[in-house]
Amino acid sequence: MRTMKDYIITICNGTTCLNNGVRLLHDILEAQLEKAGLTDRVKINISGCLGMCNKGPILIVYPGYTIYGNVQKEDVAEIIEEHVLKNRPVARLAIQEDHLFNRFFRIFGDTQFFGKQLRIALRNCGIIDPENIDDYIALRGYEALAKVLTEMSSQEVIDEIKKSGLRGRGGGGFPAGTKWQFTANQPGDCKYVICNADEGDPGAFMDRSAIEGDPHTILEGMAIGGYAIGAKKGIIYIRAEYPLAVQRLRKAIEDARAHNLLGDNILGSDFCFDIEIRLGAGAFVCGEETALIRSIEGHRGTPRPRPPYPSVSGLFGKPTLINNVETWANVPVIILDGGNWFSTVGTENSKGTKVFALAGKVRNTGLIEVPMGTTLREIIYGVGGGLPDNKELKAIQTGGPSGGCLPAEYLDTPIDYESLAKAGSIMGSGGMIVIDEDSCMVDIAKFFLEFTQDESCGKCTPCREGTKRMFEILTRITEGKGQAGDIEKLERLGNMTKKASLCGLGQSAPNPVLSTIRNFRHEYEEHIHQKKCRAGVCTALLVYTILDKCVGCGACKRVCPVDAITGDKKTMHRIDPDKCIRCGMCMTKCKFEAITRA
Amino acid sequence: MTPLEKIKKKRAESVNRILSKGYLSTTRVYVGMATCEIAAGSGDVMQVFREAIDKGEIKDVYLSQKGCAGRCNLEPTVEVVAAGKNPIKYGKVTAQRAREIITRHIQNGEVITDWIID
Repeated sequence: MRTMKDYIITICNGTTCLNNGVRLLHDILEAQLEKAGLTDRVKINISGCLGMCNKGPILIVYPGYTIYGNVQKEDVAEIIEEHVLKNRPVARLAIQEDHLFNRFFRIFGDTQFFGKQLRIALRNCGIIDPENIDDYIALRGYEALAKVLTEMSSQEVIDEIKKSGLRGRGGGGFPAGTKWQFTANQPGDCKYVICNADEGDPGAFMDRSAIEGDPHTILEGMAIGGYAIGAKKGIIYIRAEYPLAVQRLRKAIEDARAHNLLGDNILGSDFCFDIEIRLGAGAFVCGEETALIRSIEGHRGTPRPRPPYPSVSGLFGKPTLINNVETWANVPVIILDGGNWFSTVGTENSKGTKVFALAGKVRNTGLIEVPMGTTLREIIYGVGGGLPDNKELKAIQTGGPSGGCLPAEYLDTPIDYESLAKAGSIMGSGGMIVIDEDSCMVDIAKFFLEFTQDESCGKCTPCREGTKRMFEILTRITEGKGQAGDIEKLERLGNMTKKASLCGLGQSAPNPVLSTIRNFRHEYEEHIHQKKCRAGVCTALLVYTILDKCVGCGACKRVCPVDAITGDKKTMHRIDPDKCIRCGMCMTKCKFEAITRA
Repeated sequence: MTPLEKIKKKRAESVNRILSKGYLSTTRVYVGMATCEIAAGSGDVMQVFREAIDKGEIKDVYLSQKGCAGRCNLEPTVEVVAAGKNPIKYGKVTAQRAREIITRHIQNGEVITDWIID
């Protein structure tokens, strides 16, 4: 049974604070709490970067959310003496920080799982009522839009985004400010802003959660984008499979119009901007920007070669600014807290945070947002709490069907666009699947290829045929019919598909195959040459045998659905491999561990 | 009036509307209501709290839905926030657990430590 602590002290363990000696502070705090006999009453919680680097080292005391900045080792005694023992916050050390993300930490900053995170895009998710515009406005919602309309020129907005270093969160990682500038530079007064909410990676749900938790931030971000490039019209392209997200967006748009935050002469200014929703039918290829635009225009969603890029000729041939949900959600924060502040979070070339859908064999599955530069190890073992049942980590899959599988050696890779690409995977839109020893890498590659070959739009041959043929070969290998030369064939096909495909779907579809071959070639070889699946996943390759410790109880015989087991009572039974369908029922029923699987 | 002045006025109005709905109650209860949470059964949980308030079983409680906070494996989640106390976050809340949270925590001030997320 757990005991509730009276106080929780969260210590920032971001890089800057670590450099400022926060470890020593932690040790002193722990020692002094122990000495004062307070360990039962106070819990120490470690957090990732809290985004207040210039005031570090940072301590936050709950309840009350008192932030202490520039804490020196001699201040610790005073915090314990005054705040913990007498419940009098130390005014001398307390700092006021009114960043937008702070609100989240008021409620969630005292738990280990949330504490490692820094929530910028998801700052309001889970703390406000998404269907009540008052909740959003009360937390400085639409203030960024008002600020832009009051005191910033279009160019100043673009400069702020450039200064922030924000890069596209949909997967490409193109610098957002540069894209905004290109679109703004185009002549003409009919331009469009699009929000790409066509999230289709298996196992990814970042955009859905962001929209369902805080729809107004997307609208506000888009309106700011519209102001910056000179567009009057915004479109959110979202799949019809997200009914609740669509419903909340609809309500948000209506409420924003009623408050004069969308529509004509927003907040009494000259700026007019409105947003409409377009529903997609759920084709994966429509996440590609040119296919998405075709789909909005009413055509079949197929990509076209670029250039011209949408910023020059996009929707209905007009200059179009298209960004992903998470990118838009960052915009109001950059305007209010400043591009300079935003650029203090993250790494040299990847600024800010990234949202990941953490799934697979990990204790705490969930939606997380961490600063760029956080390592895979910190995410999986820190935020994710490690693997259940003390299983061995085999690989980490990032980027969904377009990404790759990184083996455990890459655990210390920092998460940023370049490092992940160098390691042989991609950031993608934020899927992260933890794979343990019970998973077969060939089977995983097959799973993703089954998806991409099905979702290939068929317009270009390399993708249409390449993904299909690779899927066939993988299926053959997992069925025990692999042939010598299959690996080389997969590599050749994969590289060709990558190079020759028209759009991002085909160019990235071979990644799961190529990366598993690169890092787990031995598993492919075992499947092909020894007809063996070490994880026991590819059922066709399994052989069940009864050992001579069988006592002949008959339990396996009774449970076998295809009568593949024979043997008289009290004599050793045997399995007919031709009849056996490898369901494994016999093995689970045997009380004597007399059945093996190899 | 500039847009900035207008939005500040709107914010004051929004805050007032939230306050008039009882935001300053002794206890605020948040129930996760995103697709994932609803799929895990948070609709029933919401109903339990709603009915308890309507029937007058618990008084001075501000009930609100919220989006997903990201704890997929512990959904549905419920937060009980009381002034001056650490916000308490409960995981895997069923209708049954919601009833117990009402009687044990909200009415009698007991934090049910076995269910909290920390």
